[in-house]
Amino acid sequence: MPYNNTIGNIANIPYWMGSQNPLYNIIGIIIYVIIISITFSIFGYVVGWLERKLIARAQNRHGPTYVGMWGFLQNFADLVKLLAKEDIIMERADKLLFMVSIPLILALSVFVILLFPYSPSLQATSLNFGLLIILTIIAFFPITLFAAGFSTGNKFAGISAQRSVLILLSYEIPTVLVVASIVLISGSYNMASIVASQSSYYYVLLVPIGFIVFFIALLAEFERPPFDLREADSELISGWLTDVSAPYYALALFIDYARMFLGSILIAILFFGGWLGPSFLPPFFWIVAKAFIISIFIIMIRATAFRMRIDRILRFGWEWLIPLSLINLIIAYILFV
Amino acid sequence: MTITRINIGPVHPSTHGVIRLVVDLDGDTIVKVEPHVGFLHRGVEKLAETRMYMQIPPYTEKLDYVAPLAYDEAYVATVEAALGIEVKERAQYLRVIELELQRIASHLLGIGTLCNDIGQMFTTFMWAFKDRDMVLDLLQEATGSRMFHVNMRLGGLHSDVPPDFVDHTISLMDYMEKRIVHYEKYIEKNTTFKERMVGVGVLTKEKAIELGVAGPVLRASGINYDVRKNRPYYVYDKFHFNTKTLYDGDNFSRYKVRMLELKESVRIIKAVARAMPDGDALGMPIKLRSPNPVNRIAVVSRELPRGECLLYMVADPQKPYRLSIRSPNMINLAAISHMAKGARFADLFAILGSLDIVMGCIDR
Repeated sequence: MPYNNTIGNIANIPYWMGSQNPLYNIIGIIIYVIIISITFSIFGYVVGWLERKLIARAQNRHGPTYVGMWGFLQNFADLVKLLAKEDIIMERADKLLFMVSIPLILALSVFVILLFPYSPSLQATSLNFGLLIILTIIAFFPITLFAAGFSTGNKFAGISAQRSVLILLSYEIPTVLVVASIVLISGSYNMASIVASQSSYYYVLLVPIGFIVFFIALLAEFERPPFDLREADSELISGWLTDVSAPYYALALFIDYARMFLGSILIAILFFGGWLGPSFLPPFFWIVAKAFIISIFIIMIRATAFRMRIDRILRFGWEWLIPLSLINLIIAYILFV
Repeated sequence: MTITRINIGPVHPSTHGVIRLVVDLDGDTIVKVEPHVGFLHRGVEKLAETRMYMQIPPYTEKLDYVAPLAYDEAYVATVEAALGIEVKERAQYLRVIELELQRIASHLLGIGTLCNDIGQMFTTFMWAFKDRDMVLDLLQEATGSRMFHVNMRLGGLHSDVPPDFVDHTISLMDYMEKRIVHYEKYIEKNTTFKERMVGVGVLTKEKAIELGVAGPVLRASGINYDVRKNRPYYVYDKFHFNTKTLYDGDNFSRYKVRMLELKESVRIIKAVARAMPDGDALGMPIKLRSPNPVNRIAVVSRELPRGECLLYMVADPQKPYRLSIRSPNMINLAAISHMAKGARFADLFAILGSLDIVMGCIDR
């Protein structure tokens, strides 16, 4: 493959991996990881800032204004403040579990993020069952969240962890069913070929019901409002983060944006044609731009939604989302297979 | 059946002050709620025994810091009843306007915090706060202060209002009418809001009478009782307005009664402002010596934004011998043990928000 000086091809991992020199392999992986990490850190930071700004606008407020231009550095200042604070671990907490669980959730999210294909050439590895692997890793979130909630030994955190697991378990099913309908249409579990098969129609046009179900289920899985029972501040103070302080709290805040990035990229790949777009900009730009717009939409829901109650959320999942996702699967099978 | 006992407060994001609730949970269902009060006790009733009559309004105002003017007026009315002082006519009209403005400010905050309690991220709260701020600006125009007005004097007011106050009031009320309709549409069309509110925390008519709840909580349970209507004071009987009664006794009725009362308050203010007579509204200036009481015992009942408040005063020359306050908040809070039984854990805070309590008034 000829060397081509664009963002996409600097880190052409399959190409490097294909070569026999192990040094090239390692360099390629490092470059890829750096590009993706920087992208998702900047993405998370900008979305975090926009969340504060946009919600402030919706509420007749200004939001952060003092630190940096339009308060752009406010989140950075908050992060520095959190890192400078004393790290407190409660005596009743399970210390090992506490110290491991929150970084583990972030690590899992980052692992999934690194597995996505970001452009025809910018992908870690072309896995034939990539979608299945990603869903499998996402299925680990309930266990880690449960561990994180219970490790602090706080009752509020315990209730929050229970709620988390209940929601995640019942919203996993519609997610997988919708993914199944997409796999039926595209005929592949490989995310790169799913994207390639959308070159004529985005799947959001073919399976609109599936998209709505998937979007709602993903909101619930990543516990964004109105499903934010994990951090229901009016009843559970901060939920699973009640006893979490300083650096762990900063990590936990970052987990939210990592998961939001993960979800937005997943939606962009499955329904909005991933990196496909006009060719005057690199494909990598298009997938991040699509994810960005989806994230903004997720943020704006937070400004208006009331929090649902746990029994209602579970009923909604079982009574609406699962039947709808089954109907979606049947329609997809009849029409497109 | 395992019971989890959870301690909520005294410091908690949605307890509206410093209240401690001990909750027994069976799974997600509440078995028992036990409110513990007294964290904000300032001994106002005892302090009142050591101060002269007109030194006390600053203390009584701070009882209900969301509607201070209402308490100010209630106390001064008690002193007037004890000393046998008549309130000037223009002052009566102005007092009614100020009280209703205070009711609007208080209900807006109540509805905003209620939306917060059922999990909206501050949006309605901020909108309501902005509108409340406009009402406070108007009160500042009238009294010179935004929060603690200390505007009532024996027989009248501290100062007359500026000449364009009436025009400002009417134009603000026109604006407020639109805003209230906006809130109603915005909040009540939300299905999640209705799911969280309708049929939750039901207080039946019989139980409401038994527990002696007051104000919007009482009227939401189907009892048509409003001190402004049933035992009118000042010029309330000269103007037509309705007391709004709903019959379900759930969270939604309590919210809705407040919303309807906002509309009625706007109506009252407009009517009173248009009919305002000229003349003198100034009360007696604060002096070291006030007139001696003509009645040994004065009992005054007032419809505060949160319910009926009863002030009982035994008057000595120059200062009260005993001042006792029947706080509507205290009685309403006591009903929570009954209302929350069998509800979901998350509903506890919806119920607490629908009661719209202020801890300063409870702990006194």
